[in-house]
Amino acid sequence: MSITQRSSILASAALLALVLSGTAQAQQATNMTFFVASTPIGKGGDLGGLEGADAHCQQLAQSVGAGGHTWHAYLSSSTNATNPGATVNARDRIGRGPWQNAKGVVIATSVEDLHSDGNKITKESGLTEKGTVVNGVGDTPNQHDILTGSDMQGRAFPDNVNLTCNNWRSSQYGSAIVGHVDRRGLDDSVFQRSWNSAHMSRGCTQPDLVATGGNGYLYCFATN
Amino acid sequence: MHRSVRLPMAASMALIALCGIAQAQQQPTPSPNMSFFVTSKGPGKGADLGGLAGADAHCQMLAQAAGAGGKTWHAYLSTTAGPLPPNTPAAAEPGKTINARDRIGNGPWQNFKGVTIATSVDDLHSDNNKINTENGLTERGQKVPGVGYVFNMHDIMTGSQPDGRAFPGQMNLTCSNYTSSTFGKVEVGHVDRTGLSDTRQAHSWNSSHQSRDCSQEGLISTGGNGLLYCFAAQ
Repeated sequence: MSITQRSSILASAALLALVLSGTAQAQQATNMTFFVASTPIGKGGDLGGLEGADAHCQQLAQSVGAGGHTWHAYLSSSTNATNPGATVNARDRIGRGPWQNAKGVVIATSVEDLHSDGNKITKESGLTEKGTVVNGVGDTPNQHDILTGSDMQGRAFPDNVNLTCNNWRSSQYGSAIVGHVDRRGLDDSVFQRSWNSAHMSRGCTQPDLVATGGNGYLYCFATN
Repeated sequence: MHRSVRLPMAASMALIALCGIAQAQQQPTPSPNMSFFVTSKGPGKGADLGGLAGADAHCQMLAQAAGAGGKTWHAYLSTTAGPLPPNTPAAAEPGKTINARDRIGNGPWQNFKGVTIATSVDDLHSDNNKINTENGLTERGQKVPGVGYVFNMHDIMTGSQPDGRAFPGQMNLTCSNYTSSTFGKVEVGHVDRTGLSDTRQAHSWNSSHQSRDCSQEGLISTGGNGLLYCFAAQ
């Protein structure tokens, strides 16, 4: 990105902030039911399990005055040798929608809509709890990989694969399936355009997540 | 053998006959019908096999060395469509989905001893297949060390789902279609049908779990040694 481009974006962002700051704040507190976590937990794919990930979403929501909702991370976990009977589908733990981002834009009207081509998650709408855009393809660094551990329908994978970093408890074992919040990737395939099931991370450490285009971010949904 | 060597070697005809027997005892020859084996060794660069072509050549080479080079041998491996990391060799054939089950002929397949391990592609991918510690022999007729051995190498690379088909394109469970020892993971099966738990996956001959990574050490650390299933495709 050139300096002129960057400064013009900064200028328009500042202008936008000036005009909208009052209303945006109010909207966040009342209407926001979807955001991308602005910060990672920081230990790669070790999120402290689903509970740890949910707590992270709740805490970030709280910090912007949206703690009145119950927040869950959009993550699946799989049954495996160490977690028998642990199959959880991300799609089953995020409430029923509709969900709105920090600016009040509806990103999906229902679970079905969210998992169809009709969902509205893009670089522009996939905002953090602070209303900021997540770095994507073309930005430095690119952080568009969002952890999901899910297939395109938001369901868990079978237990012959470990694509959830040991159900979000390991920064050593396995890898994580991630989605592209900016819907862009290495090629123009259905997977690279997928918001929730684009590819595998290199591994489960924080540097591994960074290496393949992420930073350990999560999708957070209000369940109520 | 020592005793036979010490026998008086009077006639040259007898000498030749003895040599023939000694050779046979040293290196048993496979059943003429052998159409399935587990490789006795891997190429040594982890899951970088030089693509499918390199893996097939490895099967053919080992078969040839065991006296079974008259058939066309293919490795039981799938490749997945999808973008590959930068600097991936052309052998990776990006964007190409190939199912292991579609490249091994029609069967039936027999092991080193002539025991039929499956009668057809469907039989091979059913609970009825006969691959296990006793039958999953190498091209030299040896068993593969599995659970209980000091060096457990029961993980056989397949890059495949339980039905012998490729994984979808968001997964790299083929070490970038067998061209990388650094990028991705590889799906493996348990030739001894035994694993850490009593689950369907642990008992699977072709789709038990993924390796730690694609290096030789990575394959070893999760219970393998870079071995392959080889089938006579014709």
